[in-house]
Amino acid sequence: MSQLSNEILLALDNAQNSYIHALDTKNMDGWLASFTTDGSYICIAAENEANNLPIALMLDDCYARLQDRVTYVTKVWAGTFEDYQTRHFTQRISAEAMGNDTYKIITNYHILFTPEQGQTNVLVTGHYDDEIVLGDTPLFKSKKAVMDTNVSPRYIVYPV
Amino acid sequence: MNAPEKYSPLVTWPAKVNEIPKDIFFREDVYQLELENIFYGPEWHPVAHTGELPDIGDFKTINVGERPILIVRGDDGEIRTFYNACSHRGNLLETRVSGNAVEFECPYHRWLFDIRGDLRGAPGDDDFSPSYCKEELGVPTIRSAEYLGLIFVTCSDETPDLDSYLGRVKSALATTFNGDGRLRLLGYQKVLYDVNWKAYVDNDGYHAPLLHAAFKLLDWQGGKGEQYATENGHIGFESELKVPKGTDFLNDPCLLEFKGTESSKGSAIASTFPITVITKHMDMINIRFAFPRGVGKTEVHYGYYCHEDDDDEMIKHRIRQSSNMLGPTGLVSMEDASIFHRIHLGNHTPGNVTFQKGVKHEDRIWYDFKQNDEAGNLPRWEYYRKTLGFNREEA
Repeated sequence: MSQLSNEILLALDNAQNSYIHALDTKNMDGWLASFTTDGSYICIAAENEANNLPIALMLDDCYARLQDRVTYVTKVWAGTFEDYQTRHFTQRISAEAMGNDTYKIITNYHILFTPEQGQTNVLVTGHYDDEIVLGDTPLFKSKKAVMDTNVSPRYIVYPV
Repeated sequence: MNAPEKYSPLVTWPAKVNEIPKDIFFREDVYQLELENIFYGPEWHPVAHTGELPDIGDFKTINVGERPILIVRGDDGEIRTFYNACSHRGNLLETRVSGNAVEFECPYHRWLFDIRGDLRGAPGDDDFSPSYCKEELGVPTIRSAEYLGLIFVTCSDETPDLDSYLGRVKSALATTFNGDGRLRLLGYQKVLYDVNWKAYVDNDGYHAPLLHAAFKLLDWQGGKGEQYATENGHIGFESELKVPKGTDFLNDPCLLEFKGTESSKGSAIASTFPITVITKHMDMINIRFAFPRGVGKTEVHYGYYCHEDDDDEMIKHRIRQSSNMLGPTGLVSMEDASIFHRIHLGNHTPGNVTFQKGVKHEDRIWYDFKQNDEAGNLPRWEYYRKTLGFNREEA
């Protein structure tokens, strides 16, 4: 694997930071804007992933359903759930060029959540398996959030 | 099938059949009685479907109440059920939640069991007690039975045969399992809810069009159907399938397509006492294995399945629909999950929970209901009350 330049690594990190900033500020339009228009998102338990079981917690395998996920959170579920604040912490583990300005990156994540009552706990941990396209704005062509937390500690409203 | 005659002084039950005392949802003494009388008593508990264990050596672990269970397909193809504990000193035998094994070895003293549960060897057995008998020291078994591939276990020898135990709810189960139960596992969604197990399973038909905004946005009306209950606490829903009409607010309505062929009874729910819910909505086949994690938490494993005869397109459709519609992140069920926690907090206030929708009588129990009646849960509560031996107040 050839060494990627600091400039490219910074651009990849900026894409990840924009993604988690959108989620931590509950900016679902910003979340959607992190993807290419042929992008996809999947959030799946590591247990299923390891056993080739395809059921996910969120499976947006086309851009139209990425758009629909914004609708779920902002319109369908609005006012029905106990809201919570997330804080995503990430660490890039590897990055690899795939050609055509596309990069495959693996990133560990650790997400804390604080509900309205104020006690903070771990929501989920795991890793992202992503493909990022570097253009004027770095965007996710695909993002897969694999959750080590096979039994999540509560229902999940926002994407991971 | 009536609950056995018992008496417990722990709780005095309200006189009206549509009132439930709130303190039973958080009292530790009540929870301990529930474990003994219900989870370890004469009830059948679904623990797996054969579609989860297709190959020789496939195994799964789960709990009944707080007791760990091991389910294994042996080298003769037969599925056997065990308590997940070494027959020697009780060490948890298998720690993985699922997998494939050729044998099970307890690491503590290296006792080795085959996948039929028989003890194959134990180091140093020439120095064991006079009554030691290898043939009698297999992994401890738990009684089991099967209906359309759904594997039940019971901790009691007094539990009636499964056929009569399930009774009328077998019809809803058959609808859910495409009539023959030939299912294949697609995967799980697992979650730990902050709720007492009874409040988790007390979900009703009344709330659906009111809580879930998706039903209104989709102009999704339920088809004609029925809700019925049995004397031993099971509930069945069977209804005509109606597909949503108003999918305009979605950019990708394919999520809401129905690709199955049978729609006269296209939706079904079988809720078996005490805690399992099995559903078929649209093209989603879902078994919700559940067990309490103490008095205030309930762990739920949403298992999703396809049918063995499905083609690739149908399987892909089921995966997409199942992953996005139900469970703790589902379009039409995330709100249920949020209500569980709020109910648990609210139930710490004094007094009784009251049922209203569909309550025709306050002094006796009946068994047939409209599909959106919350009163359909009352026969289950009556069976629960009798099973725990709680007497009613005088009217």
